[in-house]
Amino acid sequence: MDASHSNRRQFLKYLGATAVIAPALPQALLAATKAAPKATALTILHTNDVHSRLDPFPMDGSRNAGKGGVARRMTLLQQIRSEQKNTLLLDAGDIFQGTPYFNLYKGEPEMLAMNRLGYDAGTIGNHDFDGGIENMRDQFGKATFPLLVANYNFKNTVMDGRTKPWQVFKKDGIRVGVFGLGIQPKGLIPENLYKETRYLDPIDISTDMARRLRQEEKCDYVICLSHLGFKYPDATVSDQVLAAKSKDIDLIIGGHTHTFLDAPVTVNNANGKPMLINQVGFAGINLGRIDLTFEPGKAPVVGGTQVVPVG
Amino acid sequence: MKKLLLFVGLLTAVSCQRGFHVARQQSARLAVDAAVPADSSTVRWLAPYKQKLDQTMNMPLVTIGERLEKSTPESALDDLLADALLAQAAKQYGKAIDVSHLNYGGIRNGLPAGAVTTGNLFEVMPFDNQLVVLTLTGAQLMQFLTYFAANDNALVVGGVRVRVHDKAVTSATLTNGRAIVPDQTYTVAMSDYVANGGGGADFLKTIAQRDNVNYLIRDALIEYFRELGKAGKTITPQADGRITLE
Repeated sequence: MDASHSNRRQFLKYLGATAVIAPALPQALLAATKAAPKATALTILHTNDVHSRLDPFPMDGSRNAGKGGVARRMTLLQQIRSEQKNTLLLDAGDIFQGTPYFNLYKGEPEMLAMNRLGYDAGTIGNHDFDGGIENMRDQFGKATFPLLVANYNFKNTVMDGRTKPWQVFKKDGIRVGVFGLGIQPKGLIPENLYKETRYLDPIDISTDMARRLRQEEKCDYVICLSHLGFKYPDATVSDQVLAAKSKDIDLIIGGHTHTFLDAPVTVNNANGKPMLINQVGFAGINLGRIDLTFEPGKAPVVGGTQVVPVG
Repeated sequence: MKKLLLFVGLLTAVSCQRGFHVARQQSARLAVDAAVPADSSTVRWLAPYKQKLDQTMNMPLVTIGERLEKSTPESALDDLLADALLAQAAKQYGKAIDVSHLNYGGIRNGLPAGAVTTGNLFEVMPFDNQLVVLTLTGAQLMQFLTYFAANDNALVVGGVRVRVHDKAVTSATLTNGRAIVPDQTYTVAMSDYVANGGGGADFLKTIAQRDNVNYLIRDALIEYFRELGKAGKTITPQADGRITLE
């Protein structure tokens, strides 16, 4: 019926840190699209590597002085939610470690703050093991949102059965599949912390996971919450590597490398189709926001895929 | 009949549904800074955690007579921190530690005269480095001391007295009475940062017997200072001359 599955998405040009959008469609087609039925908006909000930064950085003259803090993030979230009906709030891991809050409370206020802020899902970062895997169980057990990780096998650990690989969120009929990926713990996390957690190849896992979400779960949009890291100078698996080998992921929300991206980066996947990677620094200094407008059916057929690279 | 047709029609519409596609997208990176007012209910919720945290951070551990600063080749602070690690590492490890070591660059602040608080020790050691115990041969131990004597131009060590000539270690004596013999083994407490080759000591990365102890170097300092303060007396630590420049 629609031969152009590959043109399902349109590709946009990002101008600097904020706004954007220049659909790479001919004007005539754009006009036709406008006449199309009901559009549904979804706003994806995200953080990564918040590292126990519940208060803003102290006013000590350092570069990040006065930035961050859960109370301010709450204000932003409330503003956005008052304007947007459909939102998803996601975190890409390393919730713990970095301020004395973690040393004293072992992660409880971090989890309870995320509950209050209304997180929909998170994934697990390497520092989330810092209090030991029993502490992870105890603290993550306080979360009212799912911790998603598809490539950690927790069998034989106390975390067994306490995470999910993926979850589908339904927003006004839009099906959004979200799955999580953790980083290789060996050499990064002391073994006595992660114990018998088995790390599975994130490329293999996400290929299966994304295809399943797309085909069996009929997801309209597939998000990978990743703590692999944005990119590395060597062949180490990263969001960039994953993106280029992926087929069914629309967006990777990354973490670990504390990368400040002004705007999402567009990468062509294994089928030559562009998808996005985003990461917004660390410590809750920023809140990432991606606004999507969905329309029913598949994208209109356009002669050849036009890709507007990120400026 | 009409109703049925309508129903069938609806069913067809639904079954023909091919989901949704992204027609438009845009992004923004929103700064969480002073321009955004703090949500007062969240501030109130966090307050009890913050108050107890502030109390903990401001709690005096021990009183010292004068300000202590790190210094090359040795200072009272250097010795005190290394001795703290030596004592606490042995407790945590459960076995004897022959030598403790801190990388000079990792000591980020001095200690003020008067009450030393947990918060002060967070300034001395802001990094969350974990304790690692490497078992080195006598030859490797000498290589280790020589490397840091040259690289840091300072040796922050406990359990050992060292003579240095022109950045090279000429002799080292363990304070526990053991002789340093090239093919015997010695336990050395250090941070994971150093054990991972972070100070440039790549040869440490291949040491076969490595024990990662899930214990922060900073916690070692905090607990040691708390012990020091239990007698309730002002202490005036001195450099004991463990590093001799020839």
